[in-house]
Amino acid sequence: MIKVENYVNVEEKAQKLNLNIPSQIAVLPRNFKTATNKEELIHAPTTPTVRKLWKQNNIRETPIEKHGEKIPCSAEKAFEWIGPIIFISSLLLSQNPHLVNIALNVISNYLTEWFRGVPYNERKAKLSIVLKTRSGDYKEIKYEGFPDGLDVLQEILRRIHDEK
Amino acid sequence: MMKSEVKEFLDNFNKAMLQEIGKFLYLVRDKHYQKGAIDKLNALKQQAVNLKEKMISEADEENANILLSVENITEAIINELKMWIALKEDRVDEAWDYLVDAQSAIRTASQAHVIALKLNGEKYANKLHLIEKLIFPPQIFFSPALVVEEARCSICDKDYEECEHIVGKAYLGKICYRIITKMRQEEVSVVTNPANKRARVLTITEENMTRDYMTWRIIRDEEK
Repeated sequence: MIKVENYVNVEEKAQKLNLNIPSQIAVLPRNFKTATNKEELIHAPTTPTVRKLWKQNNIRETPIEKHGEKIPCSAEKAFEWIGPIIFISSLLLSQNPHLVNIALNVISNYLTEWFRGVPYNERKAKLSIVLKTRSGDYKEIKYEGFPDGLDVLQEILRRIHDEK
Repeated sequence: MMKSEVKEFLDNFNKAMLQEIGKFLYLVRDKHYQKGAIDKLNALKQQAVNLKEKMISEADEENANILLSVENITEAIINELKMWIALKEDRVDEAWDYLVDAQSAIRTASQAHVIALKLNGEKYANKLHLIEKLIFPPQIFFSPALVVEEARCSICDKDYEECEHIVGKAYLGKICYRIITKMRQEEVSVVTNPANKRARVLTITEENMTRDYMTWRIIRDEEK
Protein backbone atom coordinates (compact mmCIF):
# COMPACT_ATOMS: atom_id res chain seq x y z
CA MET A 1 0.00 0.00 0.00
CA ILE A 2 1.32 3.42 -0.94
CA LYS A 3 -0.01 6.71 0.39
CA VAL A 4 1.15 10.16 -0.65
CA GLU A 5 0.71 13.06 1.76
CA ASN A 6 1.84 16.66 1.96
CA TYR A 7 4.93 17.25 4.10
CA VAL A 8 6.52 20.26 5.75
CA ASN A 9 9.27 22.27 4.07
CA VAL A 10 12.25 20.19 5.20
CA GLU A 11 14.89 22.91 4.92
CA GLU A 12 12.79 25.46 6.85
CA LYS A 13 11.85 22.94 9.55
CA ALA A 14 15.46 21.80 9.97
CA GLN A 15 16.55 25.42 10.37
CA LYS A 16 13.75 26.07 12.89
CA LEU A 17 14.83 23.06 14.96
CA ASN A 18 18.50 24.09 14.74
CA LEU A 19 19.50 21.00 12.77
CA ASN A 20 21.79 20.53 9.78
CA ILE A 21 19.95 21.21 6.53
CA PRO A 22 19.94 18.02 4.46
CA SER A 23 21.52 18.51 1.07
CA GLN A 24 21.34 15.17 -0.77
CA ILE A 25 20.01 12.19 1.16
CA ALA A 26 19.21 12.13 4.88
CA VAL A 27 17.28 10.31 7.55
CA LEU A 28 14.58 12.35 9.28
CA PRO A 29 13.28 11.57 12.77
CA ARG A 30 9.86 9.90 12.77
CA ASN A 31 8.24 12.99 14.37
CA PHE A 32 10.16 15.61 12.36
CA LYS A 33 6.93 16.99 10.88
CA THR A 34 5.23 17.64 14.24
CA ALA A 35 8.12 18.29 16.66
CA THR A 36 8.25 21.78 18.11
CA ASN A 37 11.78 21.51 19.51
CA LYS A 38 14.90 19.42 19.04
CA GLU A 39 14.53 17.55 22.35
CA GLU A 40 11.26 15.93 21.19
CA LEU A 41 12.84 14.25 18.17
CA ILE A 42 12.98 10.44 17.99
CA HIS A 43 14.42 8.35 15.18
CA ALA A 44 12.82 5.14 13.89
CA PRO A 45 14.26 1.94 15.46
CA THR A 46 16.10 1.03 12.27
CA THR A 47 17.79 4.38 11.63
CA PRO A 48 21.28 3.36 12.89
CA THR A 49 21.15 0.19 10.77
CA VAL A 50 20.11 2.05 7.61
CA ARG A 51 22.90 4.57 8.17
CA LYS A 52 25.48 1.77 8.50
CA LEU A 53 24.18 0.02 5.37
CA TRP A 54 24.51 3.24 3.39
CA LYS A 55 27.98 3.95 4.75
CA GLN A 56 29.14 0.44 3.81
CA ASN A 57 27.79 1.01 0.29
CA ASN A 58 29.37 4.47 -0.12
CA ILE A 59 26.12 6.40 0.10
CA ARG A 60 26.94 9.72 1.74
CA GLU A 61 24.17 10.96 4.01
CA THR A 62 23.88 14.43 5.54
CA PRO A 63 23.21 13.73 9.22
CA ILE A 64 20.66 16.24 10.43
CA GLU A 65 22.20 16.08 13.90
CA LYS A 66 24.84 18.74 14.56
CA HIS A 67 28.31 17.38 15.32
CA GLY A 68 28.36 15.70 18.75
CA GLU A 69 24.57 15.69 19.11
CA LYS A 70 22.46 12.56 19.25
CA ILE A 71 18.76 11.89 18.65
CA PRO A 72 17.42 8.79 20.47
CA CYS A 73 15.72 5.93 18.62
CA SER A 74 12.50 4.11 19.40
CA ALA A 75 12.63 0.35 19.98
CA GLU A 76 10.79 -2.25 17.94
CA LYS A 77 7.40 -2.97 19.47
CA ALA A 78 5.89 -4.78 16.51
CA PHE A 79 7.19 -7.64 14.43
CA GLU A 80 7.24 -5.58 11.23
CA TRP A 81 10.36 -3.72 10.04
CA ILE A 82 9.81 -0.02 10.59
CA GLY A 83 12.16 1.96 8.43
CA PRO A 84 13.06 5.62 8.81
CA ILE A 85 11.76 8.65 6.89
CA ILE A 86 14.26 9.19 4.09
CA PHE A 87 14.67 12.66 2.62
CA ILE A 88 15.87 12.79 -0.98
CA SER A 89 16.76 16.16 -2.43
CA SER A 90 15.44 17.33 -5.76
CA LEU A 91 19.00 17.73 -7.00
CA LEU A 92 19.87 14.11 -6.22
CA LEU A 93 16.71 12.79 -7.85
CA SER A 94 17.24 14.72 -11.05
CA GLN A 95 21.02 14.55 -11.34
CA ASN A 96 21.92 11.23 -9.73
CA PRO A 97 18.88 8.92 -9.70
CA HIS A 98 21.26 5.96 -9.81
CA LEU A 99 22.36 6.77 -6.25
CA VAL A 100 18.74 6.86 -5.10
CA ASN A 101 18.24 3.40 -6.61
CA ILE A 102 21.32 2.08 -4.79
CA ALA A 103 20.17 3.61 -1.47
CA LEU A 104 16.81 1.83 -1.76
CA ASN A 105 18.24 -1.43 -3.13
CA VAL A 106 20.63 -1.67 -0.19
CA ILE A 107 17.64 -1.57 2.18
CA SER A 108 15.64 -4.01 0.05
CA ASN A 109 18.52 -6.51 -0.07
CA TYR A 110 19.03 -6.25 3.68
CA LEU A 111 15.34 -6.95 4.25
CA THR A 112 15.55 -10.13 2.16
CA GLU A 113 18.11 -11.44 4.66
CA TRP A 114 16.40 -9.88 7.70
CA PHE A 115 13.12 -11.70 7.01
CA ARG A 116 14.68 -15.11 6.34
CA GLY A 117 12.98 -17.73 8.51
CA VAL A 118 9.75 -15.72 8.63
CA PRO A 119 6.70 -17.00 6.66
CA TYR A 120 6.19 -14.82 3.56
CA ASN A 121 2.77 -13.51 4.58
CA GLU A 122 4.16 -12.33 7.92
CA ARG A 123 6.86 -10.18 6.31
CA LYS A 124 5.93 -6.52 6.47
CA ALA A 125 8.00 -3.38 6.05
CA LYS A 126 7.18 0.30 6.48
CA LEU A 127 9.21 3.07 4.92
CA SER A 128 8.62 6.73 4.07
CA ILE A 129 10.34 8.92 1.55
CA VAL A 130 10.11 12.70 1.52
CA LEU A 131 10.96 14.70 -1.56
CA LYS A 132 10.46 18.12 -3.08
CA THR A 133 8.52 18.11 -6.34
CA ARG A 134 9.42 20.27 -9.34
CA SER A 135 6.55 22.57 -8.34
CA GLY A 136 8.19 23.14 -4.94
CA ASP A 137 5.80 21.12 -2.76
CA TYR A 138 7.09 18.58 -0.23
CA LYS A 139 5.49 15.14 -0.43
CA GLU A 140 5.78 12.09 1.83
CA ILE A 141 5.43 8.73 0.08
CA LYS A 142 4.51 6.10 2.67
CA TYR A 143 5.08 2.44 1.82
CA GLU A 144 3.63 -0.42 3.84
CA GLY A 145 3.72 -3.99 2.58
CA PHE A 146 5.90 -6.92 1.60
CA PRO A 147 9.60 -6.00 1.62
CA ASP A 148 10.09 -7.08 -2.00
CA GLY A 149 7.48 -4.51 -3.02
CA LEU A 150 9.88 -1.68 -2.14
CA ASP A 151 11.19 -1.92 -5.71
CA VAL A 152 8.13 -0.07 -7.01
CA LEU A 153 9.09 3.03 -5.03
CA GLN A 154 11.83 4.11 -7.42
CA GLU A 155 9.41 4.69 -10.31
CA ILE A 156 6.80 6.32 -8.06
CA LEU A 157 9.40 8.75 -6.68
CA ARG A 158 10.32 9.89 -10.14
CA ARG A 159 6.66 10.34 -11.11
CA ILE A 160 5.81 12.37 -8.00
CA HIS A 161 8.97 14.44 -8.32
CA ASP A 162 8.07 15.37 -11.89
CA GLU A 163 4.49 16.35 -11.02
CA LYS A 164 3.68 19.96 -11.73
CA MET B 1 34.19 -23.23 1.28
CA MET B 2 32.76 -25.95 3.49
CA LYS B 3 35.43 -27.88 5.40
CA SER B 4 35.37 -31.68 5.22
CA GLU B 5 34.76 -32.06 8.98
CA VAL B 6 31.77 -29.70 8.75
CA LYS B 7 30.43 -31.61 5.74
CA GLU B 8 30.81 -34.89 7.61
CA PHE B 9 28.92 -33.43 10.59
CA LEU B 10 26.14 -32.19 8.28
CA ASP B 11 25.84 -35.65 6.66
CA ASN B 12 25.44 -37.20 10.12
CA PHE B 13 22.94 -34.50 11.09
CA ASN B 14 20.82 -35.14 7.97
CA LYS B 15 20.97 -38.90 8.50
CA ALA B 16 19.88 -38.56 12.15
CA MET B 17 17.03 -36.22 11.16
CA LEU B 18 15.78 -38.62 8.49
CA GLN B 19 16.17 -41.89 10.35
CA GLU B 20 15.90 -41.13 14.06
CA ILE B 21 14.23 -37.76 14.74
CA GLY B 22 11.89 -36.60 11.96
CA LYS B 23 9.36 -39.37 12.60
CA PHE B 24 8.70 -38.07 16.13
CA LEU B 25 7.78 -34.51 15.16
CA TYR B 26 4.04 -35.16 15.51
CA LEU B 27 1.61 -34.61 18.39
CA VAL B 28 0.46 -38.25 18.61
CA ARG B 29 3.91 -39.85 18.85
CA ASP B 30 4.66 -41.34 22.26
CA LYS B 31 6.39 -38.80 24.51
CA HIS B 32 9.07 -41.29 25.60
CA TYR B 33 10.30 -41.54 22.01
CA GLN B 34 10.13 -37.77 21.75
CA LYS B 35 12.27 -37.41 24.90
CA GLY B 36 14.77 -39.84 23.33
CA ALA B 37 14.83 -37.68 20.19
CA ILE B 38 15.54 -34.59 22.35
CA ASP B 39 18.54 -36.41 23.89
CA LYS B 40 19.90 -37.22 20.41
CA LEU B 41 19.37 -33.62 19.29
CA ASN B 42 21.12 -32.26 22.38
CA ALA B 43 24.13 -34.46 21.54
CA LEU B 44 24.09 -33.17 17.92
CA LYS B 45 23.77 -29.59 19.15
CA GLN B 46 26.78 -30.03 21.41
CA GLN B 47 28.79 -31.39 18.47
CA ALA B 48 27.76 -28.35 16.39
CA VAL B 49 28.79 -25.99 19.23
CA ASN B 50 32.17 -27.71 19.68
CA LEU B 51 32.89 -27.64 15.95
CA LYS B 52 31.76 -24.00 15.77
CA GLU B 53 34.17 -23.05 18.55
CA LYS B 54 36.95 -24.74 16.59
CA MET B 55 36.03 -22.75 13.46
CA ILE B 56 35.93 -19.54 15.51
CA SER B 57 39.42 -20.28 16.86
CA GLU B 58 40.58 -20.74 13.25
CA ALA B 59 38.84 -17.45 12.25
CA ASP B 60 36.83 -19.39 9.63
CA GLU B 61 33.73 -17.20 9.44
CA GLU B 62 31.91 -19.15 6.71
CA ASN B 63 32.05 -22.48 8.55
CA ALA B 64 31.41 -20.91 11.96
CA ASN B 65 28.21 -19.34 10.55
CA ILE B 66 27.14 -22.66 8.96
CA LEU B 67 27.48 -24.32 12.36
CA LEU B 68 25.67 -21.45 14.11
CA SER B 69 22.83 -22.06 11.67
CA VAL B 70 22.73 -25.83 12.30
CA GLU B 71 22.98 -25.27 16.07
CA ASN B 72 19.86 -23.11 15.88
CA ILE B 73 17.98 -25.53 13.62
CA THR B 74 18.66 -28.20 16.24
CA GLU B 75 17.48 -25.83 18.98
CA ALA B 76 14.27 -25.15 17.05
CA ILE B 77 13.48 -28.87 16.68
CA ILE B 78 14.24 -29.54 20.36
CA ASN B 79 11.74 -26.82 21.24
CA GLU B 80 9.13 -28.25 18.88
CA LEU B 81 9.44 -31.67 20.57
CA LYS B 82 9.24 -30.05 24.02
CA MET B 83 6.10 -28.23 22.85
CA TRP B 84 4.36 -31.48 21.83
CA ILE B 85 5.32 -33.13 25.14
CA ALA B 86 4.13 -30.10 27.15
CA LEU B 87 0.79 -30.12 25.29
CA LYS B 88 0.26 -33.79 26.10
CA GLU B 89 1.07 -33.09 29.75
CA ASP B 90 -1.41 -30.18 29.82
CA ARG B 91 1.33 -27.57 30.33
CA VAL B 92 -0.07 -25.27 27.65
CA ASP B 93 1.63 -22.02 28.70
CA GLU B 94 5.02 -23.76 28.56
CA ALA B 95 4.04 -25.26 25.20
CA TRP B 96 3.42 -21.75 23.85
CA ASP B 97 6.83 -20.57 25.11
CA TYR B 98 8.53 -23.57 23.43
CA LEU B 99 6.80 -22.71 20.15
CA VAL B 100 7.97 -19.08 20.40
CA ASP B 101 11.52 -20.27 21.14
CA ALA B 102 11.39 -22.64 18.15
CA GLN B 103 10.26 -19.80 15.86
CA SER B 104 13.01 -17.55 17.18
CA ALA B 105 15.68 -20.25 16.70
CA ILE B 106 14.69 -21.07 13.12
CA ARG B 107 14.80 -17.36 12.29
CA THR B 108 18.30 -17.03 13.77
CA ALA B 109 19.34 -20.16 11.84
CA SER B 110 18.01 -18.66 8.60
CA GLN B 111 19.71 -15.31 9.18
CA ALA B 112 23.02 -16.93 10.15
CA HIS B 113 23.66 -18.77 6.88
CA VAL B 114 21.90 -19.83 3.67
CA ILE B 115 22.57 -23.46 4.63
CA ALA B 116 19.28 -23.18 6.57
CA LEU B 117 17.42 -22.74 3.27
CA LYS B 118 19.07 -25.90 1.90
CA LEU B 119 18.01 -27.72 5.06
CA ASN B 120 14.37 -26.63 4.47
CA GLY B 121 14.45 -23.87 7.08
CA GLU B 122 11.78 -21.82 5.28
CA LYS B 123 9.40 -24.79 5.12
CA TYR B 124 10.04 -25.47 8.78
CA ALA B 125 9.27 -21.81 9.67
CA ASN B 126 5.96 -22.18 7.78
CA LYS B 127 5.18 -25.39 9.69
CA LEU B 128 5.73 -23.59 13.02
CA HIS B 129 3.52 -20.73 11.84
CA LEU B 130 0.74 -23.20 10.99
CA ILE B 131 1.10 -24.90 14.39
CA GLU B 132 0.68 -21.48 16.04
CA LYS B 133 -2.51 -20.77 14.08
CA LEU B 134 -4.07 -24.27 14.30
CA ILE B 135 -3.15 -25.47 17.78
CA PHE B 136 -3.35 -22.29 19.83
CA PRO B 137 -6.22 -19.78 20.08
CA PRO B 138 -5.55 -16.22 18.86
CA GLN B 139 -3.59 -14.33 21.51
CA ILE B 140 -3.64 -10.74 22.71
CA PHE B 141 -0.16 -9.28 23.00
CA PHE B 142 1.32 -6.31 24.80
CA SER B 143 4.20 -4.30 23.55
CA PRO B 144 6.04 -1.49 25.33
CA ALA B 145 7.02 1.58 23.29
CA LEU B 146 10.57 2.41 24.37
CA VAL B 147 12.89 5.26 23.57
CA VAL B 148 16.43 3.95 23.38
CA GLU B 149 19.03 6.41 24.63
CA GLU B 150 21.98 4.00 24.56
CA ALA B 151 22.46 0.61 22.94
CA ARG B 152 25.56 -1.52 22.55
CA CYS B 153 26.51 -3.99 19.85
CA SER B 154 26.46 -7.67 20.92
CA ILE B 155 29.51 -8.39 18.73
CA CYS B 156 32.00 -5.66 19.71
CA ASP B 157 30.32 -4.05 22.76
CA LYS B 158 30.73 -0.57 21.23
CA ASP B 159 27.89 1.94 20.88
CA TYR B 160 25.67 0.34 18.19
CA GLU B 161 25.54 3.63 16.28
CA GLU B 162 29.31 3.75 16.02
CA CYS B 163 30.39 0.23 15.06
CA GLU B 164 30.27 -1.57 11.71
CA HIS B 165 28.09 -4.54 12.68
CA ILE B 166 24.53 -4.88 11.45
CA VAL B 167 21.62 -6.31 13.46
CA GLY B 168 20.51 -9.73 12.19
CA LYS B 169 23.80 -10.56 10.43
CA ALA B 170 26.18 -13.28 11.58
CA TYR B 171 29.81 -12.51 12.38
CA LEU B 172 32.16 -15.42 13.06
CA GLY B 173 29.51 -17.68 14.58
CA LYS B 174 27.53 -15.00 16.42
CA ILE B 175 24.40 -13.06 15.46
CA CYS B 176 24.49 -9.30 15.93
CA TYR B 177 21.79 -7.73 18.08
CA ARG B 178 21.38 -4.50 20.03
CA ILE B 179 21.77 -4.57 23.80
CA ILE B 180 19.71 -1.69 25.19
CA THR B 181 21.57 -0.16 28.13
CA LYS B 182 19.61 3.07 28.69
CA MET B 183 15.99 3.66 27.80
CA ARG B 184 12.71 5.21 28.88
CA GLN B 185 9.22 3.83 28.48
CA GLU B 186 6.57 5.85 26.65
CA GLU B 187 3.51 3.60 26.71
CA VAL B 188 2.29 0.01 26.50
CA SER B 189 0.16 -0.95 23.51
CA VAL B 190 -2.00 -3.91 22.61
CA VAL B 191 -0.73 -5.29 19.30
CA THR B 192 -1.62 -8.21 17.03
CA ASN B 193 1.86 -8.92 15.68
CA PRO B 194 4.35 -8.12 18.44
CA ALA B 195 8.12 -8.12 18.56
CA ASN B 196 7.89 -10.44 21.59
CA LYS B 197 5.16 -13.12 21.57
CA ARG B 198 5.78 -14.00 25.21
CA ALA B 199 4.22 -10.72 26.39
CA ARG B 200 0.58 -11.82 26.17
CA VAL B 201 -2.66 -11.77 28.11
CA LEU B 202 -2.64 -14.67 30.62
CA THR B 203 -6.05 -14.30 32.27
CA ILE B 204 -9.25 -12.45 31.54
CA THR B 205 -11.89 -11.38 34.09
CA GLU B 206 -15.54 -10.89 33.13
CA GLU B 207 -18.47 -10.57 35.53
CA ASN B 208 -16.33 -11.52 38.54
CA MET B 209 -15.08 -14.67 36.84
CA THR B 210 -11.42 -15.05 35.91
CA ARG B 211 -10.41 -17.46 33.16
CA ASP B 212 -7.09 -18.71 31.85
CA TYR B 213 -6.91 -17.07 28.40
CA MET B 214 -5.21 -20.10 26.86
CA THR B 215 -7.30 -22.99 28.29
CA TRP B 216 -10.47 -20.99 29.16
CA ARG B 217 -10.53 -22.77 32.54
CA ILE B 218 -12.01 -20.82 35.47
CA ILE B 219 -9.34 -19.72 37.94
CA ARG B 220 -10.53 -19.75 41.53
CA ASP B 221 -9.51 -17.00 43.97
CA GLU B 222 -7.00 -19.23 45.79
CA GLU B 223 -5.23 -20.01 42.48
CA LYS B 224 -4.78 -16.34 41.48
